[in-house]
Amino acid sequence: MIGLLLYLLVGFGLLVILWVLARRESAPVEGCGRQFVEARQALRTLQLGLLPENLIQRIFDREDFRYVMAMSPGEIGELFLQERKRISLMWVRRVRCEIRSLMQFHLNYSRLHARLSLVTEIRLALDFALLLLACRSLRILLYMRGPYGAGVMVGVLTAAAGRVCASSEKSLAFLNPPELESFRRDSAGDGAAI
Amino acid sequence: MDVLAAADDLRRRTLVEMTQPLERLIYLASTRDYNTGLYYHHGLALRFSEEAACEALADCHREAFEELVGASLEELVRGLEAYLESTRVAPNDFIVAWKGLEPYRVAIPVGIDSLSSELVFSNLKVALAILEARLMARTKPGASRHPSPVQ
Repeated sequence: MIGLLLYLLVGFGLLVILWVLARRESAPVEGCGRQFVEARQALRTLQLGLLPENLIQRIFDREDFRYVMAMSPGEIGELFLQERKRISLMWVRRVRCEIRSLMQFHLNYSRLHARLSLVTEIRLALDFALLLLACRSLRILLYMRGPYGAGVMVGVLTAAAGRVCASSEKSLAFLNPPELESFRRDSAGDGAAI
Repeated sequence: MDVLAAADDLRRRTLVEMTQPLERLIYLASTRDYNTGLYYHHGLALRFSEEAACEALADCHREAFEELVGASLEELVRGLEAYLESTRVAPNDFIVAWKGLEPYRVAIPVGIDSLSSELVFSNLKVALAILEARLMARTKPGASRHPSPVQ
């Protein structure tokens, strides 16, 4: 009797899992274009607007701090630290926002269009998790220790963001104009006009 | 091709006089129409075309802004001081107007990421404070006799 109950429970459990899997919504095809455009925009913002090395160096550059402290400590020094803290927090917030946008794209749509290997997907998932954690930790550190107390975390964040950008770039590579150009050239040979 | 030639001409003839990116930024922003966002330079438009001149001015404007983003605070203070000297306005009036009106906010090229522009605004704010403190230390009784434009 106990054995029968056990089998019934296992069977019921399997049915529940099947039901849950069946109810899972697949990514709708409509709206995919918008998702791609948004992901492409997020990637461009990260690569060109938020992650360029010279911009990060500028925000967290200690030379500026030394200069202000040497020139006019006190009130102006405080103003400078306040401003740099505001800018660095803004930077983290923006990076987090764009990363979340890319993550959403990968979660919902990329599997439909780009074949990623399991290892790449796991690495990507870990990088996203690390990035979101790094963003949160960096925000706390910036609040507590100011813009010059989180150098290591800034490095971790930018390195992980760079990796995620490289993977996303591969997933979205088919949207790049050069490929469209080669397609245009190839088809022109057959007399087809695009 | 025309745009590149126009930009080169602009750099060689007009911008070469302006050694500081801040100076170039303010000048190039002043050639932009507030209502249309289009740049206009009479001489350049005559020599090339209105479209090429507009593109060239926009390119040089972006270039000056990028230079400003990459400038250290020390360079920015130096640039601000040089710009102040070039305007020949009384230093106190300049500081008051720039602190009150923040004219640099409308001198930003279009399509720039908001973080970069915020960084430049923030640096200019600190640079102005440093310059003000320096001017106050240099000439305590040297206040301007003109009425202040911004109160």
